[in-house]
Amino acid sequence: MKLVEAVSDDVTIVEAYGRLDSTTAKEFGERLISLVQSGRCSIVLDLKNIAYISSAGFRALLIAKKATAEREGKLALCGVIGEVRRLFEIGAFTEEFLICPTQADGIGKLRQ
Amino acid sequence: MVTEVPSPPGSSASCEIRIVNDISEMARVADLVDQFGVAHSLSNEVIVALNVSLDEILNNIICYAYQDAGPHEITVRLELRHESVEAFVEDDGKPFDPLAVTTPRPRSVGREGGVGLHFVRSLTDQVRYTRRDGINQLWFMKKLTR
Repeated sequence: MKLVEAVSDDVTIVEAYGRLDSTTAKEFGERLISLVQSGRCSIVLDLKNIAYISSAGFRALLIAKKATAEREGKLALCGVIGEVRRLFEIGAFTEEFLICPTQADGIGKLRQ
Repeated sequence: MVTEVPSPPGSSASCEIRIVNDISEMARVADLVDQFGVAHSLSNEVIVALNVSLDEILNNIICYAYQDAGPHEITVRLELRHESVEAFVEDDGKPFDPLAVTTPRPRSVGREGGVGLHFVRSLTDQVRYTRRDGINQLWFMKKLTR
């Protein structure tokens, strides 16, 4: 798991690489929470380079979403494609998150 | 003259790995699944199904199966068949039949307990549990897609 972060004014873009599973969920979740705690609570998370997400990974995503909402920010996801999209559908998580086609769409949504 | 080159892990039609009951060990299983998948040209769908299912099953075992703090061994074996991949997971934890658990479809934090097994059932084609001589034996099968 690798996270690449970029800042576009008030929005933080995080590109995640690798597996989002039991092994990586903790570190991944802690990084997102620490971003929120440092005031970066509008986050676009790009999942296009994620191989798969297990329930431990979805748990971390839900916690991150809750953390951004508590700070009146928001978490937008993009790159939800292929097998990862299928996992969102199987777990009935598509309705749980703001899912956008691209990073630019996500940034636009967060600035509305 | 033929030079014997040791085959890389996961390249034969079956492979086995033993891990101890620690979350940090689970990446070794995912690495093996990836190697096995590449060696046998398995589709991404099959590799993801194996990885997610094993993540759920092993996480369950490591977090809930043991009542002492000591180390325990868990065995994972993958076998390639003509039209499917079979996975075997064995542990010596307390008896637990994951198929006896009803799997609701939790949608929020704090209700995620059943979602892991929901993933296993949805991503695999057959799952079987047996308890034999103090060992939990979980078997699942995923049909190959190309």
